[in-house]
Parts: sequence; C-alpha cells; structure tokens
Amino acid sequence: MSTPSRKRLMRDFKRLQHDPPAGISGAPQDNNIMLWNAVIFGPDDTPWDGGTFKLTLQFTEDYPNKPPTVRFVSRMFHPNIYADGSICLDILQNQWSPIYDVAAILTSIQSLLCDPNPNSPANSEAARMYSENRREYNRKVREVVEQSWTAE
Amino acid sequence: MDTMPDLGDRPRDDEIMAQHYAIRAEEAEKMSFIGDKEPLSSLAAEYESGNAIFKKKIEKLGETYGALRRTRGDGNCFFRAFMFSYLENLLETRNEAEAGRVKDSVDKCKQSLLDLGHSEFTFEDFLASFTDQLDGVQDGSLSADQLVENSRDQSISDSVVMFFRFITSGEIRKRADFFEPFIVGTSGLSVQQFCRSSVEPMGEESDHVHITALSDALGVLIRIVYLDSSNGDGGNNLDVNFHDFIPGQCVQEQPILKSKPSVVLLYRPGHYDILYEK
Repeated sequence: MSTPSRKRLMRDFKRLQHDPPAGISGAPQDNNIMLWNAVIFGPDDTPWDGGTFKLTLQFTEDYPNKPPTVRFVSRMFHPNIYADGSICLDILQNQWSPIYDVAAILTSIQSLLCDPNPNSPANSEAARMYSENRREYNRKVREVVEQSWTAE
Repeated sequence: MDTMPDLGDRPRDDEIMAQHYAIRAEEAEKMSFIGDKEPLSSLAAEYESGNAIFKKKIEKLGETYGALRRTRGDGNCFFRAFMFSYLENLLETRNEAEAGRVKDSVDKCKQSLLDLGHSEFTFEDFLASFTDQLDGVQDGSLSADQLVENSRDQSISDSVVMFFRFITSGEIRKRADFFEPFIVGTSGLSVQQFCRSSVEPMGEESDHVHITALSDALGVLIRIVYLDSSNGDGGNNLDVNFHDFIPGQCVQEQPILKSKPSVVLLYRPGHYDILYEK
C-alpha cells in the first residue's frame, strides 16, 4: 500500500543509500518500511570514537508531519538519553519539522553524543558526572563503547 | 551529596511539553483555521466593556477598514492568514501576471533550500500545495469557495504553512548576516538555532523577523496594523499604527516600488487576523 508516509520513507531510504552522511547508516526492516534499524558510529577523536550504537526508528502514517519514535537499542551513558534508550532531543519532540529526513535525524543524534544539553537531563548520573567529573564520565562512555561491539 | 532532582518523581520534560501543546491544540480547535468574513463591528463588540484605548482605536480602524476574517490561534495564524489573504486578493483581482511572478519567486526559494543542503523530496510536496493553488488562479479552476475550503482543510492548510516556514527559514539563513542582529538582539539565539526552534516547527509564533523574511522571499508587500494599548502621544489623537513590510527594501536589489499592500493583517499581541479595506 502506498501512502504519503510510505512514499516519503522510500525516498528517505534512497537518499541514505546513495548519499549517506559520514558515520551513520540505516534501513527499514525486511517487511516493514515503518520500522527502521540504524547505526550511529561514535565521532572520531572523542570518547565515543569506535562505538557502533544501534537504534530503532518507529514511524507512523503521520510522518513526515510527526517525528518517528527513536530509541537506542545499545546501552548508552549520556545526559540526554533515558535508561530505556529514548532520547531527549528537541527536534524529536516539540521542535520537529518535516524538513528533516532520516539522514538529518541521525546526524543530529550523532552530534548530540559529543554535545549534550545539560539543561534537560534524562540521566541524572551522567549529567552530574559530565559537569563535575569529566574524567570519570569519559571512562563510563568508553565502557558503553566497548559494550557496543558485543551486545546483541 | 545528591543535588540533582530525582527524575522519577516528576513528569519528563517532553511529557510536560506534550501536555502544553495538547491543551493549546484543544483550545485552538474550537475555531476553524480561517473564519467567515465579519463586519468590523464584531471586533468592537469584543471590547465593549474593555480598554478605552482599544475602543478608540477600533473606531479609528473603522475609517479605513470595513471587515475582518479571524484565524485560529494555534501559533500558525500569521502563515494561514497570509496564505488566505494573498490568494484571495489574487483571485479577486484576477492577477495572472502576479501569479506568474510569485511562481518565479517560489522557484528561487526552492533553489535557496537546495543550496542550503536540503533534499528536494523533503519539501516538494509542501511546495506543490501552494503552487497548485497558484495554478488554479491562472487557469481559472480555483473559485473563491474552493479557496475557503482549501484553507479549512487541515492537510492543505498545514502543508502550505509548512512550505512558508521552510522558505522563511531559507531566506533567513541565506541572509544570515542581515538577520543576525535582530535575532540575537531579541532572542539571544544564533540564526541556526532560531530557525530550528522558532521558524521550522509548526505552531511557533511569528514576529517581525518571520514577516520580513517571507515578504522578501515571495516579493509580497504585507501591511500589519497594530491594535494594542499603546497610546502614542497620550493625547486625543490616537492613531492606529501600521507597518508596511516592503519586499526588497532591506536587500541590495532594487526595492519594489511601494504599492497597495495585497495582504493586510490585524495584529493583536500574539495573534494575526485578516483585515479588509472598505
């Protein structure tokens, strides 16, 4: 069935295949264009370097007028990522705009990794460590980077 | 010592925001996107027992304007009012040349968005929802009734609003040097942050910066008439202030000569409605 959201998602997918931004990849699951798997690679020369973080994106028929629900599947340690993997990022909530495609969503999440927003903590321990004990914070980040290679 | 609040005890920020938006949406839905044309006296009735300055100003307003059309107060009122007022004017004047001219402007806007790195597929459907109606003006297939219907149709109306938001954002980012002082001065945000938080999302209200950018992007003269409680020199000569947003006035190109505004909007703090001259 071809609805506007499915048609748009096919084009999102094509864009991501032919012109992928550095350090991200994503594709719909086999029989379901509304549910995507994605991977964000930790940006080079940061504590996140080398991490391969898995996410899911669940779209609805309202896409692109409503954002997808995005969740990390990999365990994360980050001030703006909740324990269940959901992400506190303005464009995924009230500041969504259809001008973002899947590539732009994943790129924004990638830059959030190194540039947390301390004003809206989703993980209070990570937020506190980020501002008070950066060395310990970075060590915790390295832990989730290493886990990202093995965890299912 | 734990100084961070316990996040388990209170709703998450996104939940609070979602509730805020839900309440506003519920309030807004009591009114259609674009109302019927009403005599200006209905505005006077609203302030019957209210502020004396407002009452005087509405009387003054009545010297030039005869009617108004209300819009839904959902944060998109400026864009919806602009869309309706502009297209209605185009229909009434049967101005096919203007429809052609604004299509050229739309093409330039499209190029700006591509230059800024946006993929065409992210905006082309929104663009078409506006140009379809311009086509309708040119080939005579768009009637006044159809325009009202389109403007009240959520999918068409939202889609045109979204397109205007894209090109407003595109114009601001393209001319970031020009807009930056206004944006930083009033909001403290960078141009990028401002576009991301206050222009591109649905429901974000419009101010001077948005209006200037849209007027320039499409080359359309917009008059905003201000109905507020400012009382000028405090004397008896209460004047209703208005401001003309003249496209091209602030860019290097030849400014478009001052002509009759095709879009006249009434601004009351936080809201825009459409005004009609007598």
